[in-house]
Amino acid sequence: MIFLFLTSGLFLGWTLGANDAANVFGSAVGSRMVSFTRAAVTASVFVIIGAVVQGGGAADTLGRLGSVNAMGGAFTVALAAGLTVYLMTRAGLPVSTTQAIVGAIIGWNFFTDNAVDTRALTQIVTTWITGPVLGAVFAYLLYHLVKITRRKIKTHLLKYENWLRIGLMTVGAFGAYSLGANNIANVMGVFVPSIPLEDADFGIFVLSGSQQLFFLGAIAIAAGILTYSKRVMQTVGSNLMELSSEAAFVVVLSQALVLFIFSSSALSGLMVSMGLPPIPLVPVSSTQVVVGSVLGIGLYKGVRNINLKVLGSIASGWITTPVAAGVLTFLMLFIIKNLFSIDVGHSVNPPVSAGEGVSIATIIRYSIPALLLITAVYLVYLVLSENKKTERLNKKYYE
Amino acid sequence: MSLFTRTNRELSVRIDEFFDTIEIGILIFKEGIKAYVNGDRNAFQNHLAKIDDLEGKADRLQRSIENDMIVHSILPQQRSEMVKLLWQLDEIIDTAKKSLNEFYVEMPHIPSSISHEFISLAEVSGNSAEELIPAARAFFREPHLVREKLIKVYFFERETDKAAFQMRKKVFHEMNDLSLAEKAHIRYITHHIENISDSAQDAADLLASMAIRQML
Repeated sequence: MIFLFLTSGLFLGWTLGANDAANVFGSAVGSRMVSFTRAAVTASVFVIIGAVVQGGGAADTLGRLGSVNAMGGAFTVALAAGLTVYLMTRAGLPVSTTQAIVGAIIGWNFFTDNAVDTRALTQIVTTWITGPVLGAVFAYLLYHLVKITRRKIKTHLLKYENWLRIGLMTVGAFGAYSLGANNIANVMGVFVPSIPLEDADFGIFVLSGSQQLFFLGAIAIAAGILTYSKRVMQTVGSNLMELSSEAAFVVVLSQALVLFIFSSSALSGLMVSMGLPPIPLVPVSSTQVVVGSVLGIGLYKGVRNINLKVLGSIASGWITTPVAAGVLTFLMLFIIKNLFSIDVGHSVNPPVSAGEGVSIATIIRYSIPALLLITAVYLVYLVLSENKKTERLNKKYYE
Repeated sequence: MSLFTRTNRELSVRIDEFFDTIEIGILIFKEGIKAYVNGDRNAFQNHLAKIDDLEGKADRLQRSIENDMIVHSILPQQRSEMVKLLWQLDEIIDTAKKSLNEFYVEMPHIPSSISHEFISLAEVSGNSAEELIPAARAFFREPHLVREKLIKVYFFERETDKAAFQMRKKVFHEMNDLSLAEKAHIRYITHHIENISDSAQDAADLLASMAIRQML
């Protein structure tokens, strides 16, 4: 019975593996620097390790957002999120598993009359914005560093290409580890409160109940990578901007670093021990971090290289995906509960009229000005950089 | 991965060897023309045999480099441009060999009054191709230096055009003792010598764009 309920989560894991592994190895495979088989096997192994070893942090944050306390509810939440991803992908709309699962959990909260943890929601929404921004910053700096190093070391192009190939495999493995650590919460996070498994002692190591679930979810992700990610990997490189092997290396490394930062409890603990605020351990959309990283490289090369429509579609996805997933979850929970009489969860933390709870109006009130502000800042930057470029071109022309 | 590294090392050695072959071929071409114009037939025939060997070696190296790049998926993103560059560099030594062969087969009469200009033309055209080789080598190690190295290629190409124009003008306007057939023959031969610097210029254009892409 447990396995039946888990199928929706496993399906979600499979779609995540099929699509998001391309963010890690897509540019390397697309540019034929790394073969698909090698990439898929490496990604599968490291996704599993990352999910089991470091998947707990981000899952805890999702659990704080809404602790889905019935297997039927967890099944429906994961299924609704998976369907949202599938339907929006079919419709050609930008979508992220992370945002779909968050929307689905909020939908469950509304249906079961549970309050939404404002702090957890703020943390999550903040990382949707900071994830791609951080990706862009990392990519810009790393690309600059790579270019300077290339100039300084004066190594032969073939040797350099060989190093890049090894580098792509290494950072790809790190990226897959971080993907597993960060995104396993999307796949199995909702099942953790409703499926309490006993610890499994293997002699040399012990797997906790949540780790066993993460292992299952990671296997589903690995299956997605091995069975369906080839085509996505081969086309992902050219979607936003044509990437050189150097740029591909930087994009994968930036993405891996961002995902690692938002899933490492050790790093967060280190920040606290240094008297700094802790890093929120939150599932981040790997696709959007990759887009941010590619944007960082685009900014390094000049704004003209960037397909700006993609950026607009990301921002729209921040709103449309959770709303669509939330509405779909609410409807599906209603059907499952009333038609099949399956327990989908109960209220343990009812919303209060003022203070802790958060309403949709509050979310909209805070998120819209934030999005407008980011768009305005970016547009100002674009105008300024375009003017600067025109000035430079004019100067060059008249000289 | 170790096998891959060895292939890369071998390939880089072969690419260097290819450049060496082209470079030596150009030097032999210049010496061959000098020997022909100065009437030293033995030396000319030696140079002809050498350039023939070098051209064959360049062809073999070019094919093996292309083959290894495809088989081992080396430089997958720049492969088509690399293949084109190798082809254009090989074209230079091909043209040089063809030119010397034409001298051997057609035995054009080069009057002593233009022998100096003729040798200069071959020198300057050869220099254009010769200056391309350091730029091509730099592409592999220091792509940011390619552009400044190519300046000399373009300079010598322009000088070749000027020298060929001046010589043709002299032949057709001032040397009335030559028959029209002889004049036409000299024009034809100079055109072939010019082709070497033209090929060098084409390769330089390609190399410049490849270097820019590397630096972006």
